[in-house]
Amino acid sequence: MLNEFSEVAKTLSNRFIQQWKDDGKQVVGFMCSYVPEEIICAAGLLPFRMRGIGASSTSIADTYFGPVICSFPKCILQLAGEGKYDFLDGIILIPGCDSIRRIDECWRKAAEESHGKFPPFHLYYGVPHKLTDYSLEWFVAETRKLVESLERHFGRKITPEDLTHAIKIYNQGRILLTRLDELRAGENVPISGADATAVIISAGVMPRDAYNRLLEELLQKLSRSTNGMTGKKRLLLAGSIIDDIDLVRLIEASGGIVVADTLCFGSRSYVDLVEEDGDPLVAIARRYLSHKLCPRMFGSYKERLEFMKQRVRQARVDAVILQNIRFCDMHGSENSLYERDLEAMGIPCLKIEREYGPLVEEGRIKMRVDAFMESLNT
Amino acid sequence: MRKEYREYHFDRMVQSIIHFASLAYDGTPKEAFGMFRYAPRFREAIETILKTGEPGVLLLKMIDKYLIEVLTAHERGKKIALCTFNFSPGVLKPLDVVPICLEPVTTLGVMMWLRGLGEYLNYCCEIGFTETSCSAQRGALGAYLAGLGVKPDFVLCNSIGVCDTNATAFNFAAEYLDLPFYQLNAPPLLTDERSQKYHRQDFRGLISFAEEQTGKKLDVDLLREVIIETDKQDMIMCEIEDLMRLVPSPVPGIFNVFMYSAKYIYGGSKEATDVMASMLEVAKRNASEGRAGTTSGKEDARAFAVYVDHYSAQLRPWSWLDSKNISHLGCMMNGFWPVHAPYAEENLKEGTYIMDSTNEDTMIDSLADQMSRMPMVKQIRGPYDDPHQWLSDTMASIRTYKPDFCMYTGTIGCRNTWGAIKILARDTEKMGIPTLIIFGDAFDHRITSWESMRDKIDEFLTVRGILK
Repeated sequence: MLNEFSEVAKTLSNRFIQQWKDDGKQVVGFMCSYVPEEIICAAGLLPFRMRGIGASSTSIADTYFGPVICSFPKCILQLAGEGKYDFLDGIILIPGCDSIRRIDECWRKAAEESHGKFPPFHLYYGVPHKLTDYSLEWFVAETRKLVESLERHFGRKITPEDLTHAIKIYNQGRILLTRLDELRAGENVPISGADATAVIISAGVMPRDAYNRLLEELLQKLSRSTNGMTGKKRLLLAGSIIDDIDLVRLIEASGGIVVADTLCFGSRSYVDLVEEDGDPLVAIARRYLSHKLCPRMFGSYKERLEFMKQRVRQARVDAVILQNIRFCDMHGSENSLYERDLEAMGIPCLKIEREYGPLVEEGRIKMRVDAFMESLNT
Repeated sequence: MRKEYREYHFDRMVQSIIHFASLAYDGTPKEAFGMFRYAPRFREAIETILKTGEPGVLLLKMIDKYLIEVLTAHERGKKIALCTFNFSPGVLKPLDVVPICLEPVTTLGVMMWLRGLGEYLNYCCEIGFTETSCSAQRGALGAYLAGLGVKPDFVLCNSIGVCDTNATAFNFAAEYLDLPFYQLNAPPLLTDERSQKYHRQDFRGLISFAEEQTGKKLDVDLLREVIIETDKQDMIMCEIEDLMRLVPSPVPGIFNVFMYSAKYIYGGSKEATDVMASMLEVAKRNASEGRAGTTSGKEDARAFAVYVDHYSAQLRPWSWLDSKNISHLGCMMNGFWPVHAPYAEENLKEGTYIMDSTNEDTMIDSLADQMSRMPMVKQIRGPYDDPHQWLSDTMASIRTYKPDFCMYTGTIGCRNTWGAIKILARDTEKMGIPTLIIFGDAFDHRITSWESMRDKIDEFLTVRGILK
């Protein structure tokens, strides 16, 4: 079963998507965890969390993007330009961060010049950077516009019942992933960090009800497992996005085990639920805008630090690896604050900058992690 | 940071240079320019400013006064706010708050000092900034984080939703120095009712926050003075910009940086109005004589910068353009969008603001509207080709000023503009305007030296047949 998740996480498309498309259904891509998957799902569409894995160059992306831009959106644009996202029927982009937001115009220009490789539906969805009564009001209106756009383009009415149903499915998935975290927090860790990452990433790239069923089975199996891993240094991974399980495997090859994270593709995507009472659209908007675990929500560092500390305590973490993709100033700078505050609490930290994409820096990262692990063991 | 840097108070150093430079012209021009040989490290920048005559002197005196206000704020019982440049200081006056406008102070440092602000830039990285973060903040902020400048009491940021790397710097400073933080957040749209309401509520939140920090209420009489003065400034600025449409442009290129410096540092105060009025006089005189604003009085080409100017290298970019008889017609930093702005063509009017002094509410709304249209806040908040954003504003400036070419230079921290500049340049090229993208850093000459940038511009002007 882990192989199933691993297969899904390691490839851009997967058999679930193929099946979905064969059934005549449509897929909508998004790049940031501030896009409410529930709404896409309620429209009868498959929300697909886009990634840049497998990109071996950024030659197409560099035609549109300037330099000094994070390689994550560049890799995604590259793959789209190569036709590898041809299974998408639409895309929703947001101002997650400045690199992510600028894929909007680069994508549109590339689409104009590469007929047929880019999906027809394209929407820019604004998400404020703060939570107040008026920003929530603004965001609810923006979310209504999102609903209307999906309805108009895909020709399907999204009813409150559809939304309520989607909320339940996604909340269930989040609860199951929290159970996975609890298992990883135990003394005997039944799953490696790399495998757990594959399981978590899969949530964004396959139909959620099928995912929930698979995950439930896995959790049962893991909870019965008696040969968990013990005696290894327990690590928490934080910082910029990691959607590459080989990077986690590389880190664990130095002798530690990743038992928790505060990553966007990781726990940040499932720790909070959508309220199941009241107006479902307002509840969805409130959940996503209340989500302050990304540094895009400026002024909320202390809440993020508290979350980090909570994760460290829960998973009995020995050390934290803080990484950022080059040109990701938000995570890069905030990692330094974490380093200062966590080290002051006696939690060793490794701060590392890396490039997104294939492990071009494998040797350097391995050397840094090896040295860090060695320092933990002495 | 090297030990010797820690021995000097940053703000005092900047202020003393400006102070003595501003006094230079109190004697005769011969005395002033004779004195420059004794100030080899600051000479080029000061000379470039003072060559403009009265406007340059008034500008230096204005900056000097501002820096003294910052330096003495605490002893005068005033609170200091660390602010983004694109923050109208007008609102802080009636709240009895003195702003440290971070980027303008960085600019002063990189303009004046031959060595730039490398040590301070690096210090930010030593304590945790990424080395790819924006140099506009890192310059002066390095000094404040190292405790070498005045200590701000709280942080006010007007770049959230506009520029992450800028916002990150202010957020980091607030956490690092443990200061209260307020952010104005720009939604992607500007003129729709929903966004306007958002801005106005957000701005009222800022006033409440500042009142909480100072324990003082907004002084409505002072607010009215600010509104009236801002309106006056805007009228003068628009008149200068209107004159820039003439061929040749009678406005010296450096006046553009004077204009936005005055707005950023003293928007809504008489000091800025005086500088602008003096510039207008010079421009009018040139216009009446049919002279260009260049030193030679001739204009061989017209340039527009689609983003920021290049501030490091002691103002050499301005003196070089001047030496080539190129009229510099400003940059995005000049795009304040008051209702009378010549570039605010009919269909763009809804992207402008007016100063309405009718009552407290209209005055607060006016400042909220102004703040939401400050340079960068207006243009790069959303998709570059949405209404009232980077492309439409650039095109409006091109139609208004009719430049022969456009230039882009920014900082290595500017994800936002670097993310769309190639596309924007294609659009301006399609309009028939040769556009040069230069990889450099406006505040850090170590990235690309001015000499290297100058050669690229020179080559571009030759290859594209702009300068024969």
